[in-house]
Order: sequence, then C-alpha cells, then structure tokens
Amino acid sequence: MIRKNWRLILLVVLVLGGSLALFGPLGAGGGEGPTNLQYGLELSGGASVRAPLVGMTADPVDLEGTSGQDLERNIAEELGLSPPTIEVRYPDSDEATTEGTVEVYNESVTQAEFAAALQAVGLDADESVIEAGLTRATYDTAERVLDSKINAGGLTGGDASVTTGANQTYLTVEVPNANRSQVLELVGDPGRVQIVGLHPAEGGYERVPLFDQETLNVNGVSQNQRTGQWGVDVSVATREAAQRFSTIMQEEGYTDNQGQCNYEIGSGPDGDNAYCLLTVRNGEVVDAVSMGDLATTIESGDFVEDPRYFISSNSQEDARELEINLRAGALPSALDVESGTNYFLQPSLAQDFKFLSLVTGVIAVLAVSLTVFIRYREPGVALPMILTAGAEVYLLLGFASLIGLALDLSHIAGFIAVIGTGVDDLIIIADEILQGERVSTGRVFESRFRKAFWVIGAAAATTIIAMSPLAVLSLGDLQGFAIVTIVGVLLGVLVTRPAYGNILRNVVLD
Amino acid sequence: MVEFEIPDVDYTRYSNRQLVAIPLAILGLALVILLGNFLITGTSPVSLGMAFTGGTELRIQTADTQPQIERTFDADVESIAPIRSEENEYIVTFPPSDADPQQQAQAAGYEVISSQERAASFGADTQRQAFLGIGAAFLGMALLVFGLFRTFIPSIAVVASAFSDIVIPVALMSIFDIPLTLGTVAALLMLIGYSVDSDLLLNNHILRRRGDFYESTYRAMRTGVTMTLTSIAAMTAMTIAASLLAIDLLPSVGIILVFGLVADLMNTYLLNVSLLRYYKYEAVAQ
Repeated sequence: MIRKNWRLILLVVLVLGGSLALFGPLGAGGGEGPTNLQYGLELSGGASVRAPLVGMTADPVDLEGTSGQDLERNIAEELGLSPPTIEVRYPDSDEATTEGTVEVYNESVTQAEFAAALQAVGLDADESVIEAGLTRATYDTAERVLDSKINAGGLTGGDASVTTGANQTYLTVEVPNANRSQVLELVGDPGRVQIVGLHPAEGGYERVPLFDQETLNVNGVSQNQRTGQWGVDVSVATREAAQRFSTIMQEEGYTDNQGQCNYEIGSGPDGDNAYCLLTVRNGEVVDAVSMGDLATTIESGDFVEDPRYFISSNSQEDARELEINLRAGALPSALDVESGTNYFLQPSLAQDFKFLSLVTGVIAVLAVSLTVFIRYREPGVALPMILTAGAEVYLLLGFASLIGLALDLSHIAGFIAVIGTGVDDLIIIADEILQGERVSTGRVFESRFRKAFWVIGAAAATTIIAMSPLAVLSLGDLQGFAIVTIVGVLLGVLVTRPAYGNILRNVVLD
Repeated sequence: MVEFEIPDVDYTRYSNRQLVAIPLAILGLALVILLGNFLITGTSPVSLGMAFTGGTELRIQTADTQPQIERTFDADVESIAPIRSEENEYIVTFPPSDADPQQQAQAAGYEVISSQERAASFGADTQRQAFLGIGAAFLGMALLVFGLFRTFIPSIAVVASAFSDIVIPVALMSIFDIPLTLGTVAALLMLIGYSVDSDLLLNNHILRRRGDFYESTYRAMRTGVTMTLTSIAAMTAMTIAASLLAIDLLPSVGIILVFGLVADLMNTYLLNVSLLRYYKYEAVAQ
C-alpha cells in the first residue's frame, strides 16, 4: 500500500510542510496578515530607487612601494579634490601581485584628467585602464552605509542591495510604505560630515580637517540645558585624534580666542580674526561655532582623557539628521539618481493589486478547470488534475514563505504560468494512460507512465533552459518570474506530476 | 453542453508543400511586417515600452479633464490613458527629459498614486539584456532539442516552429501597437517553453513509437490540442480579468501568450507535421 502510493504520500508530506511554512513556524516570518508570505513593493506599496554610484576606476595599477594615504592625498591634490574622494585599494596580501585599483568618487573629473593625475604622482597608468564605474568593494561599502541610514532614519523594512547589470552595477534601495521624496532625500547625498577648523593664517584663512564620521562616536541628540541649543553629543573615537585636536586648538590659537567667530553661512568669515569650528556636510558649511568652555578642558589636558564634544545644530530636526549621518557614515560616492530608475506605488493601490491578482489567478484556474472538465467528462480524471495543479501553486507559495521571497506581480504571472504548464503535463499523463485498451496491470501502467514522462521531462528541461537567462540577468521584475517558473517546473516534475500519475493509477486499477 | 472533439484532420488529402505553405506564408508576412516597421521607424520593429526607452509614467487621480492634464505639464506628454475601473484616474507617460513631471503633478494638486521613472541610459542597458536573454534562451532550447533527437529534420522542425511562435506574436504586437515591456519579454520567453511542449509531444509520438504515421499524429494532436486550448483558456481569462481590473504587467503577459499559443496550434499541426511526414516517408526512405 505505502510502496505503491509513495509518490502520493510524498506530495501530502510536502503539502503539510508547505502549510507549516505558510502559516506555521517554518516561514521566514515578517509577513503581514494570516500567512507568512512577504510582499514586494508592487503588492505592498512603497518606493524604490535604483542607481549607479558616480565615479571611475583605474584597474589595474601597479602600486608597488606606495603608501595608500600619501597616494590618496597626492592624487586628490592633483585633481583639486578632498582626500576622501580618492580610494586606493591594494591586492590581498596572499596574492602574488602588486596591482591594485584607484577610484575617484567624483563626476566632474574626466578620464584624461584622472590619467594625468595618476601619472603626476608617479603611477604607471594611462586612459586605457580607466573606466567609468566603481569597484564591487565600494558598492558593498555603499550598501552597508545605506542599510544603516535606512535603519537610523526609522524607515522600517527598507533594504539596500547591489545588482549587477550587463555592463553596470547598481544600488537598489527599497522602502515599503515610504514615498519617493523620502527615499530620494535619504539616498540623494553622500551624507559626509566633517568638522573643520578655520583660523587666520598668512594671507587669509586656513582650514584644517579635524574630525569626520570615522573619528567620532555618536552618543545622541541632546539639548543644552542652559542655552536651549540642540545638537549631537559625540566623543572622539581614538586618543590620537583627540590629542591631535587638542594640539591644533592650542597651537593655532583657538583656545586663546574664545567666542571669536564671526561667520556668515554661505559667504564666509567676517573680518580677519575668526576662530571657528565648522560643521561641513557634503562639502558645504552648515554651521559655524566659536570655541567655548571646551577651551578650559583642552588646556587642562582633560579633553584627551574624556574627549566629549557637542556639535550644535539649528533645530532638533537638523540635529536628528546630523545624528543619522554621523551614525551611518558617509556613502563613498554619490548616487547618480538621474541615470537610474525610481518607482513609487501608493500602499492602498498595492493592497488592491494583491486582492485583484488573487481574483485573476482564481479566474484563470476556473477557465482551466472548465476546459479540462469539458474534455474528459470524468470527475475521477479531471478533479485530481485541478487539485494537483492547485497543490503545485500551494507548494510554490510555501517555498516562497520558506525562503522569505517578497512576492511581486511578476511572481503572480509566474504562478499562473506554472498552472498552465502544470495542467499541460497532467493532460499528457492522463491521455497516455487512458488511451487504447484499459490498463489492467501495474506493469502496463508503469510503462505508459514512463513514456509520458519522457515528454514531460524534456519539456521541463526546455522551460528551465529558456528561463535561466532571466534568472541570472538583472532585469529587475523578471528575475522573480523566472525563479518562480523554474522552481515550479522542478516541483512539478519531481513531485506533483508523479503524484497525479499515482492517483490515476488508483482510479484505473480499481 | 459544449462538445469538445479534436478534429481528425485528413492529412493524406494535402501534399507537404500545401501544408507548409500556410505557416510559411504567415511567418513570411510577419517578418515583412517587422522589417517594414523597422525601415519606417528606423529604430525598432515594435514600439518599446518605458522599461527600454526610459521616461516617466505617472498614475494620477484628479478631477481635471485630459486636455487640462496635458496643459499642466511642461514636458511633452506621450500618452494619457484613463483607467477603466477607477473614475478620475489616469496613466500619463512622458519621454525621458530633464523636467520633473512628478513635482509638477504634485504642484497642480494631483494625487500621485504610482510613479515610475527610468533614465534613458538605464533603459538601453535593459534593452541589451532583454535581447541577450531571449537570444540565450532560444539558443539553449535549440541545443537541447538537437541533443534530444540527434537528427536534423525533426530537430529543425521543433526549432523552426518555436521561432515562428515568437515572431508571429511580435508582428502582432507591431500591428496592434503593443509596446515591448518586461512583461511581454517574459511572455515571449514563456512561449519558448509552451511551444516546445506540443512539438516534443508530436515528435515523440511519431518518431519514438510504433504505429502508423497518421494514427500517431492523431493521438499526439488529441493531447496536444487539449493542452494548448487549456493554456489559451487560462491566458484569455487572465488577460481579460487583469485588464478590466487594471493590474500592471499581467494583461501584456496574457495577450502575448494567447497570440503565441494560437500561432503554435498552426505551426505544430501544419509546419511540424509536414516536416515530420517528409522525414518519415521521403528523407528516411532515400
């Protein structure tokens, strides 16, 4: 009994497993509603932005005997940029090569200028090794930063990911229940924050970079009890950085010129005796403060022991934004939103789509059922056919919850395609077994079933081959469609279609 | 109740030449249409959707009339289509430009229900990948079919009818001005799978089974036509339902599959059958 019906038993076991994944503890979780299913933007609403990072890469460049920091500073100087916009990457130490890469995170530099700058600092590189686009390592950094920006910004459920296209890499940011401008604001600028000192020097003013996101730890947003000023409490991450800061403050005269900062945001220092600590965001000065009580702790040496610092802001909102930027770190380069895509769907319409696509699926199944009933007129053949095709989709839904696949419209199209091919194959099995004289023994049944299976196997292999380019290429929407179809075909060939044969065997051999 | 009988076509009454003439003529016509359209437009035989050209698509809600909507935007409006199931909702598309239609829509007090924006360069990348995908899928299918049958004529019969099954719907897209979108690309790839199903079945019955050619053909037809009709029923239902309910993506997938499956009926049982008959009675006999 069990030996004869093992295919059917396997199906039942998997359907139970699928139920556990859909409704029970096996699912990846995080879904809303009664099931563990998760929905993508098209079925839940929200916004997404997909765009490349600006910049270019010289690869390969022989870096033997060079120092990364010096190189970055010198190349930046040649190009008139700030050092963080140049990234030098050395090969892994276990690799027997001295060739690495140099990236520039800026869109206004031309390839010729970049090549000239590389040659000027003594690197052997010309335009032929320079290409638009950045390294995978940079994209991975950007992905990490965006992920923490999304979380720090309170946009729950959002996610950043890297996708590789035919000849370009993109960052995709998806945030459910957000709108387009929220997402664009989040990813629109690199979010680079620097604290820069400004003091009088020969022939004008000198600027000294003091801290950036890497050298500051964030303690939180707070309001000064006395002045009511909003800002972010930070502490300097390393003793070296704190020591360096103390030294500069004392040698350049900041501590002797407390309260001396006449600075007009947008135009610059007033007069010739300003000592300011500037907050610079993405290269623009957003705030300028003078040296205050800090001078005392710096002079006494207490600052190096307990290097806490307060970055003031204009409002609570600005302080909050500053905090997000400080916590998340800076994107290595800006996202080129103009050469990407963005997508927004109102959550209420997405809810409609979810329901309506279910309706569409049911209508498609009804159409199939009707055709099959008209053709076979025997419930014993037709009914199991519909149930089996239904089980196939049910198993697919279970699979989707198991791996936490976020369903979109393309997946729904895939489900309907799977019902189509599934029923086709069941028709092949039914016709093969029901043809000619009645099947009277198990042996005849097995032989006919195997014949039917040759066609089914070959057709399944073709469908999988036809879909696999889509599963690999990053055509966005279509990847999901292809994956669902391939998994559906595999489930069909390995589980549900043999099980249908098993049911027919019981029907015809009784 | 409706009767569902697969017609027993009397193939003996027609020569191979006669049988092949119809599908080849239609395939030829399809190719001429595509070539003609390509020469007229100079860019692409079918109109490309936003996914491939770039541009902006907005779904907005407003009490304004269509001409009023058109005047609201600085940028050229490519098309405005009302949504059948919702009053006062329109889908407005724009070609790629520097203007920001979304901002203008919001400024005019329209409610933006959904929006999609694609840079032209991004579209070009998608286009390359889509053609690469279709090409790779077709090549993979052809290699597999040749590997399965290991003889030229039966294999080429399957590949040729799959080719025609894709070209005919593309020509119909060009006639009915259905733009190529990601959904229609998926449908064209799906057609490769569906098309090969019934062809494999026919080849299998004729080449790998004992029995009379016409008897085998009839058996394969009974199963194959049922399969294709079932799929056509499913896809027609999906197309009608999804377009009435104004769901993205699904209607275009459905309509292409319906076109392709109808073409498949013709190609399998006229083109493929006659090539196999030629193979069985003439090529093998020599």
